Amino acid sequence: MTGEVVVPTPNRHRRSRFVLSVIVLSIGLVVVSIASLGMGQYALSPTDVIGVLLQAVGIQNDWAPEASAASGVLLEIRAPRIVLGLLVGAALSVSGVLMQAIFGNPLADAAVVGVSSGAALGAALSLTFSLTVLGMWTTPAFAFIGGLIAVFAVYIISRSGGRTEVVTLLLTGIAINAIGSAGLAFLTFVGTSATREQIVFWQLGSLNGAIWRNVGLIAPLIAIGVAVAIIVSRQLDLFALGERTARHLGVRVELLRIGVIITVALLVCAAVAFAGIIGFVGLVVPHLMRMLIGPAHLPLVISSALGGALLIAIADLVARTAVPLADMPIGMITSLVGGPFFLWLLIRTRRRAGGWG
Amino acid sequence: MRRMPAIAGLAAFALLLAGCSASAAETATDDDCPIAHIELSELPIVDDVRAATGGSRACLGTNAIEPVADDTAPKLPVTVTDSEGTEVTVTDVSRILPIDMSGTIAATVFGLGLGENVVGRDISTNFAGTEDLPIVTKTSHTLNAEAILELAPTVIVTDTSIGPKEVRQQLRDAGIPVVMVSSERDAHTVGDLIDEVASALGVPTRGAALTERVNAEIDDTVAEIAAVAPEAVEDRARILFLYVRGSANVYYIFGRGSGADSLIEAVGGVDVASEIGWEGEKPMNAEALVAAQPDVILMMTDGLESVGGIDGLLERIPALMETPAGQHRRVIDMNDGQVLGFGPRTAEVIMAFAKALYAPTETAAPTTAPAGS
Repeated sequence: MTGEVVVPTPNRHRRSRFVLSVIVLSIGLVVVSIASLGMGQYALSPTDVIGVLLQAVGIQNDWAPEASAASGVLLEIRAPRIVLGLLVGAALSVSGVLMQAIFGNPLADAAVVGVSSGAALGAALSLTFSLTVLGMWTTPAFAFIGGLIAVFAVYIISRSGGRTEVVTLLLTGIAINAIGSAGLAFLTFVGTSATREQIVFWQLGSLNGAIWRNVGLIAPLIAIGVAVAIIVSRQLDLFALGERTARHLGVRVELLRIGVIITVALLVCAAVAFAGIIGFVGLVVPHLMRMLIGPAHLPLVISSALGGALLIAIADLVARTAVPLADMPIGMITSLVGGPFFLWLLIRTRRRAGGWG
Repeated sequence: MRRMPAIAGLAAFALLLAGCSASAAETATDDDCPIAHIELSELPIVDDVRAATGGSRACLGTNAIEPVADDTAPKLPVTVTDSEGTEVTVTDVSRILPIDMSGTIAATVFGLGLGENVVGRDISTNFAGTEDLPIVTKTSHTLNAEAILELAPTVIVTDTSIGPKEVRQQLRDAGIPVVMVSSERDAHTVGDLIDEVASALGVPTRGAALTERVNAEIDDTVAEIAAVAPEAVEDRARILFLYVRGSANVYYIFGRGSGADSLIEAVGGVDVASEIGWEGEKPMNAEALVAAQPDVILMMTDGLESVGGIDGLLERIPALMETPAGQHRRVIDMNDGQVLGFGPRTAEVIMAFAKALYAPTETAAPTTAPAGS
């Protein structure tokens, strides 16, 4: 366990907490996923669901409903949506862990360093100028490019003498965010009312449009991102001791930081590409996990991935079933839970440790 | 960034949704729409409207609005209580500025034969005779008080679909009478709007004549359509108005009270959204879309093109493939500015939609979007 590295007195207590939380989160994920498969606006009985699933794996049975729409709903609408939600949740919360580690700031997330803003600007560019170079992938691809450019701009500008100060980096992020927002405002100004609406629709976070091909496209990206996070987690523990110490302990700080930033851009863009902007997951989940199992990064990355997936799975279940026929904005639900939680966190931290300066 | 889409996005959205029909799409002209000149009864009517396949485009045969025959001079000054309950006195109608989201008020003013007095237009107004008028809503749907004052209008007729209301107040403060009319638009309220506009402009008799003409046209059209529409409810086409703008995740269904319901009923279809109790405009869940099982999807032309035509639509929204409409690729599209306008041309719009619905072979639309959309 890498937990020993950052925690001076390794204790079994913390490790057993990690094991316990992984077990609880995994069970929760399985339960919620199964419940999600069975629930939805298109009425399917549990036997219908089992019948369709058995049929899908090649077992003919009497439970499978006659109507062809039933299997379509389950396999082409509900299942990809659930899987997309799990992937997006894991990606967002792992990106949160990485950001907070690399910037040594508990408030760091994709929005702060400008990845989201860059991605939104890229997407808006492709919509406003009706670019179709990559067909229906054009907008996600532009979002990805925009996010990468933004995060690299922040990185290059805030770097000086081979080092990056955290405060400078965060302030640069604010400036990049301002530029991104201005660009977005300009595009909504020059666009027609139709493209303006496209931009607004794209930004409304929702998993309603999930299709397998999109899931297949982002799954490897997110898998790579999470794998990198796991690989560098030990170095992140050393990094948490301070840059100088980390360097003395053999961590190649600049390489680590640039690698992590690219990983963050990868994770965030993969999440944003087809689900739009879903707030607060990257902030809330890592904090919650840190409170439960401590700050060591390997367990934190693993449990945050599970926790983020679980949070989105529950939020999306509410989003798609709460109001008959309609689809609620999922970003609203995550922020509704995340906002108050974050306020509580602020108050608690101030009371115990005098706040975050 | 998180703040921006959540707050600004939603706020902007309230405005945008109301302005759904406000695209500056090109208006169909005579050449584009030969079918408009053929009587519905002479067209090859499809045997089973629920089983028809392929996309169709509804279009209008003429780009002009025919003014009413009555030419009684305006009786001024006139004092009216507008739709917001404000008493407004209009003394001069020589320079009229009719502006709203859908271009309906401008169409009504032209229908009343006062088109020559119009000094500016909104972005949705693009019928014949308005080409040279300055557009006062160049960017988004917001008004600029100074740009409007520059046109020196003597009366402004508008509704709540366009704003902000501070600008309307600025214009009132500048001494220009601002008459607010109802922002409700559907096939049943066309006459009410005409009456409101006509009395504000001092031409109530012209208004009565235009209302009578328009309502008679609508009645004739509906009767003509009824002759070809299936009698039994179960044989009628189940139609859903789908509002899409580029994104596959968020799409809105227009239900009861959106105007789309009255249009669908007028052509002898079953409005699926009203049937399931869908009120107004809301984002729909993919599974609910399947459960509704529509036979025909009605869309705005720009909306359909924003997703790359029917192919792109079906690719992006796989839920449609589980409905008869998707399996039959049965999508009818109509110009954004016309489909939910409900002005003096309401009967023409209804007929165009009916022809696209019942004579699909004659109105087949290109299956893929043109390059660059």
